[in-house]
Amino acid sequence: MANPELFKDLSSRRLTWLRFKRHKLALVSGGFLIFLYFIAAFCEFFAPYEPNWRNPKAIFAPPQEIHFIDNQGDFHFRPFVYGYSLTINPETWVREYTQDPQQTHSIYFFAKGQKYQFWNLFSAEHHFITTASGQYLHLFGTDKLGRDIFSRIIYGARISLSLGLIGVALTLVLGVLIGGIAGYVGGRIDNLIQRIIEVLQSIPTLPLWMALSAAVPVHWSPLGVYFSIIVILSFIQWTGLARVVRGRFLALREEDFVVAARLLGASQLRIITRHLLPSFMSHIITTATLAIPGMILAETALSFLGVGLRAPVVSWGVLLQQAQNFQVIVLTPWLLLPGIFVILVVIAFNLLGDGLRDAADPYGGHQS
Amino acid sequence: MTDNILEVNNFSVKFPLMKRGLLSRQVGEFTAVNNVSFSVQRGSSLGIVGESGSGKTTLVRAILRAIDPASGSAVFQSHTGAVDLCQLSNKALIPLRMQMQMIFQDPFASLNPRMKVADIVSEPLVIHRPEQHREHRQMVIHMLERVGLEADTLHRFPHAFSGGQRQRIGIARALILNPSLVICDEAVSALDVSVQAQVLNLLVDLQQEMNLTYIFVAHDLNVVHHFCEQALVMYHGSVVESGPVEQIFTSPRHDYTRLLLSAIPSLDPDIKLSPLDRNSLSLE
Repeated sequence: MANPELFKDLSSRRLTWLRFKRHKLALVSGGFLIFLYFIAAFCEFFAPYEPNWRNPKAIFAPPQEIHFIDNQGDFHFRPFVYGYSLTINPETWVREYTQDPQQTHSIYFFAKGQKYQFWNLFSAEHHFITTASGQYLHLFGTDKLGRDIFSRIIYGARISLSLGLIGVALTLVLGVLIGGIAGYVGGRIDNLIQRIIEVLQSIPTLPLWMALSAAVPVHWSPLGVYFSIIVILSFIQWTGLARVVRGRFLALREEDFVVAARLLGASQLRIITRHLLPSFMSHIITTATLAIPGMILAETALSFLGVGLRAPVVSWGVLLQQAQNFQVIVLTPWLLLPGIFVILVVIAFNLLGDGLRDAADPYGGHQS
Repeated sequence: MTDNILEVNNFSVKFPLMKRGLLSRQVGEFTAVNNVSFSVQRGSSLGIVGESGSGKTTLVRAILRAIDPASGSAVFQSHTGAVDLCQLSNKALIPLRMQMQMIFQDPFASLNPRMKVADIVSEPLVIHRPEQHREHRQMVIHMLERVGLEADTLHRFPHAFSGGQRQRIGIARALILNPSLVICDEAVSALDVSVQAQVLNLLVDLQQEMNLTYIFVAHDLNVVHHFCEQALVMYHGSVVESGPVEQIFTSPRHDYTRLLLSAIPSLDPDIKLSPLDRNSLSLE
């Protein structure tokens, strides 16, 4: 800090925020993630179509381009897309779509479209973007059944992104509790917990995940499968966090200000809640942020392999199942778009976590 | 009749030496403090000197039961009568802690960086006098004034202060419950020399005002000379010499004390520092 006088009256939380704000990349990543989570929360509204609605006129159709100027050269204030005209290549039997300038499908914002149940609470029919009935809009193309990839990615975001958050929350509870016990009690119990962690960490994760998720009964409801996948993923992931927490507990227990609190006569509960936890809350938040992409990637991997979430559920991993053969790359590359979103989210979480870590690092800043 | 506030007898602290491995086991023990006995008179100051690793800090921390001692007794004259600190459970110690406090060496590490000064200084009150919570604020302001800090420090965090100011905060925290015994664990050795003098003078003033008894751990002999009436010299966990400070300084009986005294630099730059040769002395 250049001028300590300026920072005199600021709490460490404010100082952390000031340091975080200097990390432009992390700030942008944070904004991007908030934006994605907002869309995921209101996905029924933002998606133009139901995830399972099929457009029979567009099977494996490529993304449509948004136009403002039609082929007569007239400017339209309202953006529009051209409909598809389908020809089947007589030699290869491949469906070839071209834009048909005769059909213009105007895009309407905040207009009535397909009916949907919002959060299963009430039915509504307004969408962020939609087209008139009988017309269609496929910004990211369609899949083999004519389902809109754009809508499915938005619906998939709800599952994939929330799974990361809930999974990490569960990991946090397990990791902080077990790591805290190991670090605070120490001795034999610490030793036992460390050995258990070592065994868990030495099992190859992918086969273990596959074995565990194969054990999930097939007849379970999608929600049941969703939560059992979360439990399976957190069951493996808590070990890393538990080690971090244990290490922090062991280090902090010997800190002078903790000894001072003990000599003042503070109870154990008071020492833990007032002195220990606030001191490594920032570390926990950082570690958790860096653990979310691991969760999302794991879910994607499991679903891609067909042992995670299954078909009626829409997650990014489930969407990527359709991209399992090499023809996709040549003929229908837009089916890989969910993968781009996975990459973007993982990068954003990593950048955000890096920024948080730098901001929370007590040795990075104030040396008075 | 002597009025000893603390009597320590045959006091030892040991640490187990563990063999590392899958099944760790104890292979021996390290004696950090070996059979130490001394007493402190109410209202006086006792200095404990020795080199790094001689067990001074371990000794005082074990007396306050931050570490559990292996054997011996430490009889403390509390307001309600004599108690042996070594016999009490951690719970039973809590009410006694308001009568004996500690000032730490490192003013940067001993204050929780996430608490405001008002919360740090009032924490002893919150723990021991929760029923008077309306008066806490006034008591904190009063205490801060006594250690020479202004009331506008209340809502700041420790990182906004210099080392000397932080040490004053630590002193305020230690003295706000009006303890009778205060242990200063190298309380000034982390400070600048000019600030050292200020803090030492503050401690002397407070001792007279509040009738405090100090145990003063230091490796700086001049500080002990200036500050204390009695002194212990520790070496390898044992007391090698004890008695009035003047006597230790003018006629040291043990070779180790002579070694320490010979290592004090003179104020006259022409007098070269010539510490005794460690190998030529019989230190055990």
